[in-house]
Amino acid sequence: MNRNEIRDVLLEIIADIDEEADFAALDDHKPLRDQLDLDSMDFLDIVMELRKRYKLQIPEDEYPELATLSSCVNYLEPKLRHI
Amino acid sequence: MSDYQLIIIGAGLSGLAAGIRAARFGKKTLIVDQHYRPGGLNSYYKFQGHLLETGLHAITNFAPPTRKKAPLNLLFRQLQLSRRDFPVREQLGSEIAFPAGSLHFANDPDLLQAEVERLFPACGEAFHQLRRAIAAHDPFASAPWRSARSFVASYLKEPLLENMLFLPLMLYGNAEENDMALSQFVIMFRAVFEEGLFRPEADMRAFLDLLVDQYEGFGGTIRYRAEVEKILIKNDRAYGIRLADGSSYTAEALLSTAGLPETIRISGWQTPSATYSGKMSFTETISLLPNAVRSSIRQDRTLIFYSSSDQFSYRRPQTLQDSSWGVICFPDNFEGIPHKEFFPIRVTNPASYPLWRALDSETYAQEKTACRRAAVQASERYTGPYGQAIVHQDSFTPLTIERFTRKAEGAVYGSPIKIPDGKTPWSNLFIAGTDQGYLGIVGSMLSGISIVNRHLLD
Ligand SMILES: Cc1cc2nc3c(=O)[nH]c(=O)nc-3n(C[C@H](O)[C@H](O)[C@H](O)COP(=O)(O)OP(=O)(O)OC[C@H]3O[C@@H](n4cnc5c(N)ncnc54)[C@H](O)[C@@H]3O)c2cc1C
Repeated sequence: MNRNEIRDVLLEIIADIDEEADFAALDDHKPLRDQLDLDSMDFLDIVMELRKRYKLQIPEDEYPELATLSSCVNYLEPKLRHI
Repeated sequence: MSDYQLIIIGAGLSGLAAGIRAARFGKKTLIVDQHYRPGGLNSYYKFQGHLLETGLHAITNFAPPTRKKAPLNLLFRQLQLSRRDFPVREQLGSEIAFPAGSLHFANDPDLLQAEVERLFPACGEAFHQLRRAIAAHDPFASAPWRSARSFVASYLKEPLLENMLFLPLMLYGNAEENDMALSQFVIMFRAVFEEGLFRPEADMRAFLDLLVDQYEGFGGTIRYRAEVEKILIKNDRAYGIRLADGSSYTAEALLSTAGLPETIRISGWQTPSATYSGKMSFTETISLLPNAVRSSIRQDRTLIFYSSSDQFSYRRPQTLQDSSWGVICFPDNFEGIPHKEFFPIRVTNPASYPLWRALDSETYAQEKTACRRAAVQASERYTGPYGQAIVHQDSFTPLTIERFTRKAEGAVYGSPIKIPDGKTPWSNLFIAGTDQGYLGIVGSMLSGISIVNRHLLD
């Protein structure tokens, strides 16, 4: 997957988790949790979905890499390149 | 290879919520319940052709779908359910009635603030301070037990107001006698007074169907009339269950929502079970009335929490039933619920499990009838007269609760001592639901979810 595809997948996962999510005003460089007003339990679901879909194990100490949409894409790009 | 990755004991609200989480992330999951339908304490039954709900008065923690941080919405997201599939109705308004006066509250916390200022002019500012302190308190941080009674008294210094505030919060979510843990008080204060009360537009059956469908849709299996007789244990691990019919299933991990005394019994856990038996249980009288009598009784209240004395102590009574305090529920008095041919009134009073237990079956039946009459009579002071108009009537006692849900001694809120981390002496057997610590419908579901998230998704 390329960067755009990864970004789309992330938005799809978030939309699945939160039907009230508003993407129109989303800034790729600001923390996702604050912008979407999500709980840490929702955040865990992003990790769980990535694991379910791509068998991707993300260790807990790397969760900070998933803070913003662009940091997520940076982090996932090498891991999802061959998918 | 085990038969399942996870076996959950109990298809009550905590077990169903836990099951949805586990199945959603691909765990091969089995839920077993001894009853023939789901719901546990919060179920329903057919009576003279009417569907009656067994637990639900009102669900706490009301929030509109847009308030994302609210527990109710977090719960729906975690279960991947849409608030759109679950239309709800807000309470009309409720009341706390004591001899000295009444406080009215609804899903707008400013109303309660104004009511406190009206009835206790000297306490308005103190009550405001108390609300601020409650908002600032983190009830989920691990901390030693603290008395909610002394906490509230330190702000209000007005025993009558304190009693009035404690009555609904204890009645709807306190397993201890006399006092309440501060953390539990904070959870309940927010759930009832700051957020408010509602019910499903349809009935509890529809909500349970929604949960079971979601669980099965994610691939989970559920079995009713499946009583767990033994949790199978070898060394420091649990490896399965044996049912009363002799069949057994193995699993990599187990989650029990059956309550501590029952879990202790079926696991052979070496710990004194009595410590974990709650003393607070209740009787409930459900009366069905023809629509025509509506005009002569109170129509603008959803719940009336009442005490016939300004002194109020929350403890197991010395008699079968104590009609001097309790809660009256009008299940149809929510915004926009259409009137049907009949409407119910439910009256819940504290009751003594050991006294009911001691009766022979003939006396049990007689006492049940006498207690219904006493409950109706006590409630008529607040509702207006309806005793003569009752078409159908049913009631349950602490023994009924124990029989259908296996909650030891009919203790609706379970053990006075909770296990917040859900751990047991066995590394792969966990506890969720009432005895993990969160109470009520929303609470027990969040309990199931959080224990699965914490221990069972790896
Ligand atoms: C009269 C009444 C009114 C209530 N009103 C409200 C209300 O208005 N609002 C609110 O929010 N909450 C209310 N509650 C509380 C709410 O119902 C409970 O807090 C919640 O349902 C608890 O869910 P749980 O899953 O923890 O336990 P349970 O519902 O007790 O689930 C445990 C399940 O385990 C099963 N089980 C036990 N032992 C075994 C075994 N050995 N083998 C197999 N299965 C077993 C039981 O059959 C049961 O289904 C009320 C409760 C009562 C009784």
